[in-house]
Amino acid sequence: MMKGHTLFNWVFTILAALVLLFIIAPLAGMFLDSSFGEVRTTAADPAVRRSVWYTLAIAFSSTLIFAVGAVPLAWIMARRSFPFKKVVQGIIDLPVVLPHTAAGIALLGFISRDGALGGAAQKAGILLVNNGAGIALAMAFVSLPFLINAARDGFAAVPERTEKAALTLGASQSRIFFTVSLPQAWRSVVSGFIMMFARGMSEFGAVVIIAYHPMIAPVLIYDRFNTYGISAARPASIIFILVALVFFVMFRVLATERRQIFRREDDAAD
Amino acid sequence: MLRTERLSKRIDAFALREISLEVAQGDYYVLLGRSGAGKTQLLELICGLTPPDSGRIFLEGEEITHRRVQDRGIGLVFQDLALFPHYSVKDNIMYPLKIKNLSLKERVDRVQRAAAEMNITDLLLRKPDTLSGGEKQRVALARTLVTQPKILLLDEPMASVDASLKDDIRRMLRRLNRSGQTIIHVTHDYGEAISLASRVGVMHNGRIIQEGTPLEVFNHPVNRFVARYAGIKNFFRATFIKSYNSCSGITEKRTKFRLPKGCYPSAGLLIIGSSEVLLSRQGAAGVQINNIHGIIDDVVPSPTGFEITVNAGDFFYADITHREMEENRFVTGEKVIVSFRSESLRVVGEGDDKKEY
Repeated sequence: MMKGHTLFNWVFTILAALVLLFIIAPLAGMFLDSSFGEVRTTAADPAVRRSVWYTLAIAFSSTLIFAVGAVPLAWIMARRSFPFKKVVQGIIDLPVVLPHTAAGIALLGFISRDGALGGAAQKAGILLVNNGAGIALAMAFVSLPFLINAARDGFAAVPERTEKAALTLGASQSRIFFTVSLPQAWRSVVSGFIMMFARGMSEFGAVVIIAYHPMIAPVLIYDRFNTYGISAARPASIIFILVALVFFVMFRVLATERRQIFRREDDAAD
Repeated sequence: MLRTERLSKRIDAFALREISLEVAQGDYYVLLGRSGAGKTQLLELICGLTPPDSGRIFLEGEEITHRRVQDRGIGLVFQDLALFPHYSVKDNIMYPLKIKNLSLKERVDRVQRAAAEMNITDLLLRKPDTLSGGEKQRVALARTLVTQPKILLLDEPMASVDASLKDDIRRMLRRLNRSGQTIIHVTHDYGEAISLASRVGVMHNGRIIQEGTPLEVFNHPVNRFVARYAGIKNFFRATFIKSYNSCSGITEKRTKFRLPKGCYPSAGLLIIGSSEVLLSRQGAAGVQINNIHGIIDDVVPSPTGFEITVNAGDFFYADITHREMEENRFVTGEKVIVSFRSESLRVVGEGDDKKEY
């Protein structure tokens, strides 16, 4: 029995280690194959800096803007029953399973001048293709499910009784949402926000169809690879990975800090 | 004060059926029933969290059937208390006051008053997850009471309280009721109903099957279900026979009961309280006395003495005191005679929950 148990542990540990190695090895290899000088030179390149900045700014704006609708949608999915709810959930998950280039093509048809949204935007003097707005839409299209699903799970975990109690205490639906539901689901919503931001930031397939320029980091890396080869694409990749990691960790830390600040404020107010 | 008229609601396979009840100002009304009887659903209908399929609700003479929950002036304390975990005790209690746009001073005053009344002033800075069941109960009550509800609905308020603290909560609820607060209290515990209620309604399968003062309900249960709640264990399904000058009931096990003269249904239930059953070795004398021979099946200590089970074809349960036990020294397997007066027997017609003979 003990022997079998030990064998089981060994097999699982080895399998787990192989998967981890599969993730770490290419990244480690990339770091080891690039010199510090190459990375520093690339980091000083204005085109690279611009692309990283575009990526961060557009991904963040896109996440923030779409969260305004995604969070209420998540609440509805968690709290309301309605006909074809499963179909709606399928629609929400669709961007995850679509090939991203196909998603880009579909989106392009919608936001180009001939498309429904693109046509309307053009009448208002706004172009949605080959600019930051188009990139933001492409990023949002493929990354929205991460925010919606995480927030939905968060709202579903909020005890419904606390919302009902607030109703009996005289609170309106909107007050209940902001003072009871959202604070309790906050951790999941922030987690979903970070996942959507991270996923949007790394999007290539849909973005490249909508807007090759202005170049976001994934497109720039692809462009360097196509034009100059792997040795030119590698330092740009390293910089983007480092920046993405820094922002990912920073958001996580900020989210934790924010919870602690809330706690301290609550205590101080008392 | 509060009146419901034939309130009905179907929820999946379960249905609340034509609930009509009346609670007067200052009443302590206890709704008693097993879990799944529909008690919580009824509270949710009354406070407006769930709309009824049919029927009407009146509060202080005004119909509130379709009024918003927020505007009904009804407070509800849930069984799981539903405190806001992300707020301190103080902010929990202050929550409904912020909605009312009261001045900060007024809000703080009201929170302090409610906290003092519930004896939780020293808990105001704590978070709900650091409180005991009894403390949480007091916080939830304080949070509801600051809204000054016209009627307070309590869903199993003792459920999350340790046995040792139940008396404290009972005292607090009685004090609250004495101060004029009308209360509807839902419970499955007969003891709670007896100790708190000015009126009791017994719920079963989505209906109120008996209503009245605790004395009326528990001394005159209309059926087996209510009698069980009253702690009565002696039930016998019987057919009734009327002869020229006597009436009797015969159970399925052929035990024959002598009944007072009267009009009985052809079949029904015979009920007798355990405290009204006497045990002896020689039997009791008298025209209206039933004497039934049996063998002691079990002797179990009870809070007041012993509960003795006698197998006489049918099983009889008798409560005897410590003194009676010392005098008689009943033991398992011994032959005894079960005696009781005919007048002690109650007859409930079968298929008719309300009718008592």
